[in-house]
Amino acid sequence: MATDALRAQVAAKWQESFARLNHNEPGIVGLLNFTQAWNIARECIRPRGLDEPDSFTQYDKSTFQASFELLNKSRRLPILLESLLEDMRKRFPVIKEEVDRYTLEYERTSDTSFILNLVFRLLKWYKKWLPMQELGATLHSAFVLSFQTHLFSVLTPTFVRGFKDLCASTLPSTDPRTNVPAPNVEMWQAFEILGLLDRYENIIASVGYEHIEAHVVAACSGRWSNPMLGQLRKWMTDKVVPWMLLMYARNATTADDARAMLQNVGSRFDFHMAKTLCDLRTKEIFDIIIDYPDSSGALQDLKECLHRVDQRASLVHTLRKANQKRLLHPGADTRLILTQYVATIKCLRVVDPPGVLLFKVADPIRRYLRERPDTIRCIVSNLVGDDDSGDSLVDESEPIQPLQQYELDDYLDSNWEPEPVDAGPDFRANKPSDVISTLVSIYDSRDLFVKELQLLLAQRLLAIIDDDTEKVEKERRNVEILKIRFGEAALQICEVMLKDMTDSKRIDGHVQSQKASIVHPIILSKQFWPMLEATEIVMPGQFRTLQDEYAKEFTAFKPDKKLRWLPHLGTVHLVLHLEDRIVEVDVPPLEAAFIELFSQQDVWTMDELIAKVGSSVDGTAALKALLTWVDLGVLKEQAENTFRLLEVAESAADGAREWRTVTKSVIELPSAPSIQQQQAEQMRVYWKFIEGMLTNLGSLSLDRIQAMLKLAPGYDQTIEQLGIFMEAARLEELVVVRDGMWKLTPK
Amino acid sequence: MKVEVKRWHAVAQWRWDTGVLSEDSGKGDDDEGEVCGICRVPFEGCCPVCKVPGDDCPLIWGECSHVFHMHCLLKWIGTQASKQQCPMDRRPWGERHPLAHFFFRICHNQCM
Repeated sequence: MATDALRAQVAAKWQESFARLNHNEPGIVGLLNFTQAWNIARECIRPRGLDEPDSFTQYDKSTFQASFELLNKSRRLPILLESLLEDMRKRFPVIKEEVDRYTLEYERTSDTSFILNLVFRLLKWYKKWLPMQELGATLHSAFVLSFQTHLFSVLTPTFVRGFKDLCASTLPSTDPRTNVPAPNVEMWQAFEILGLLDRYENIIASVGYEHIEAHVVAACSGRWSNPMLGQLRKWMTDKVVPWMLLMYARNATTADDARAMLQNVGSRFDFHMAKTLCDLRTKEIFDIIIDYPDSSGALQDLKECLHRVDQRASLVHTLRKANQKRLLHPGADTRLILTQYVATIKCLRVVDPPGVLLFKVADPIRRYLRERPDTIRCIVSNLVGDDDSGDSLVDESEPIQPLQQYELDDYLDSNWEPEPVDAGPDFRANKPSDVISTLVSIYDSRDLFVKELQLLLAQRLLAIIDDDTEKVEKERRNVEILKIRFGEAALQICEVMLKDMTDSKRIDGHVQSQKASIVHPIILSKQFWPMLEATEIVMPGQFRTLQDEYAKEFTAFKPDKKLRWLPHLGTVHLVLHLEDRIVEVDVPPLEAAFIELFSQQDVWTMDELIAKVGSSVDGTAALKALLTWVDLGVLKEQAENTFRLLEVAESAADGAREWRTVTKSVIELPSAPSIQQQQAEQMRVYWKFIEGMLTNLGSLSLDRIQAMLKLAPGYDQTIEQLGIFMEAARLEELVVVRDGMWKLTPK
Repeated sequence: MKVEVKRWHAVAQWRWDTGVLSEDSGKGDDDEGEVCGICRVPFEGCCPVCKVPGDDCPLIWGECSHVFHMHCLLKWIGTQASKQQCPMDRRPWGERHPLAHFFFRICHNQCM
């Protein structure tokens, strides 16, 4: 039940509204006018079908102006706007239907022209519905906003895909033969008017990025000989920038204007190009390094890209992973690893002169190499230029220089620069040193190298037969070169070895002039040659005589010296006169000793033979020697371990071999024990000390043993090596260990 | 069968003949060899001053039958403290006549 007050209130409101719409016109004329104006206004801004005539054809322009004035005065414009938007919402399904139809068509055919047509079609609708400018900015912007909102709500993901394809189709093709499509300015304008540019900016940019990526990959992958970055930049200017102009500099009037607008987005694209190239090269880095120096162009690119894009960490990561997978496994030859390591050094020095990248990448390789037993041998044989292995690690053109040692910081260095920011804590800014220094620095001590060098030199010198002075000269040259690297003192021993060679020759010359002999020995200075595997052979028969005669002559020449033969080394050139054939052959001394024994007696068992030449010859070596003769058809294994001389060759049926004169060479490099064996040999000396200690003091810790051994002359083993040795002794059941205390096994 | 040796490319080591009696038994002095009483380097090595062994760093035989690197001994004799004595037995140093060495050996061989 309404009260009077309420009634009065409602009445007052009614009066007020009425007065506003009626404008103080008599009766309801004002109200009628308003109604008419409202209708006209609604009619002319109503969203129409495309085939309906425009509002201007029906109404005069001034009519609307008047109607609008009237509505404005009555403050009904907001309501009008609302009804317009409502109408639009109601009409929008028509557009949606159209969008669906076109996108469906596109989905079916994947033809971007459908999308293009759809866009133009949408533009038509938009233009049809767009209210006149005169109606004010509020109405206009409200319309645009609402239209776009509706439009975006009906655009399906398919449309987005089609839109992307459409953009992509406007890009210049990667194939240089096809022409650049003429820029479709209208299309871009349509995009802008419909607000598609702003909404799908990311998509358009990604189209550009993908285009760049595709081009970079197509143009650059696998091509490492020349720097590509310059070409790519040119391509960007020629092909991509015009495309970008359409979009990002559409409002530009002058060239400067355009440049300013492009600056931001252009540098983004340039960055993306550099990143793509960098990624590509990073992916290929392992193969680029293999190809070095043919791949220096790629390295230049990589260097520049890394300046632009911070991808250093990823480069290190990728390369380390590739190395782990492709290089540092048991299947890879040590030589190969070294070659790749050297190439890595050279490549990364190009990319990153301060060497931070190199340091990070090289670390695992160096650690791995350190564990390989033949690394030193490989490096050393490369140093002395072993010819059997193709390319050398060392660049011939690189000047030979002394090995560089890590130097402490020079505080007075005026060119000092701080370490690069991404350097790790243990990074050492080593100056660009030569490859050999780097290789040698894999190991903490260079003594190992010098030892290995001596060993190798000894082997090679002993392998020289026929007084080949040229070969000795070659070794001398090598040693001279190595002296520059390792220093005079370290190679003193090698020097003596070479001197022994020439001295031997001189002495031999003298001895021969006194009394001709068929023996031509190399006379070594014992202390200066590496321990050579010692097997004592007592040379039988005429060999013994030959030795003694020569030794006598030697002592006559050098009264204060005498000779001690190393009968297991060297080679003998023999001619065997058999009943039906002559065999001429170069053999090691053990073989010669055996065959000499066979000349005394036709059948021997292996044990008898060994007993004759000295018991230090082991079974395998003896068997090998005998088999050499079996291979030559001189001996035959009659029963197990019993051999018979074949005075007459066995019938050809037994083995179609050619007898007559067999000239063969069965020489191998004299084997020398490896460094490890030598170390073990050294440790054996110290075992006596250890045994004594443990006998006197009961049980001792490893530290104590090490500390006490340090007092022994010439002891240079680390505690780890001692540990390994003690462990070996434990396995031999010489010692027992409990709680880190070692003691002798109780007897 | 007759084995004819055309050429033997052998390997040997030289040793100083220090007149040690065990010389021909061959096995006794196998590895270590003897060392100079002054520098403790094997005779076949060289004294601390030299770099090349052998004739460039010869031995010296004393009358007292002690043997040293010549350079080591001369240095010792050159010092005041030496009083011209053999560092091993403090007898007056005198060099054995080079030929004495031979006579000694010849006698020795004959005795054998």
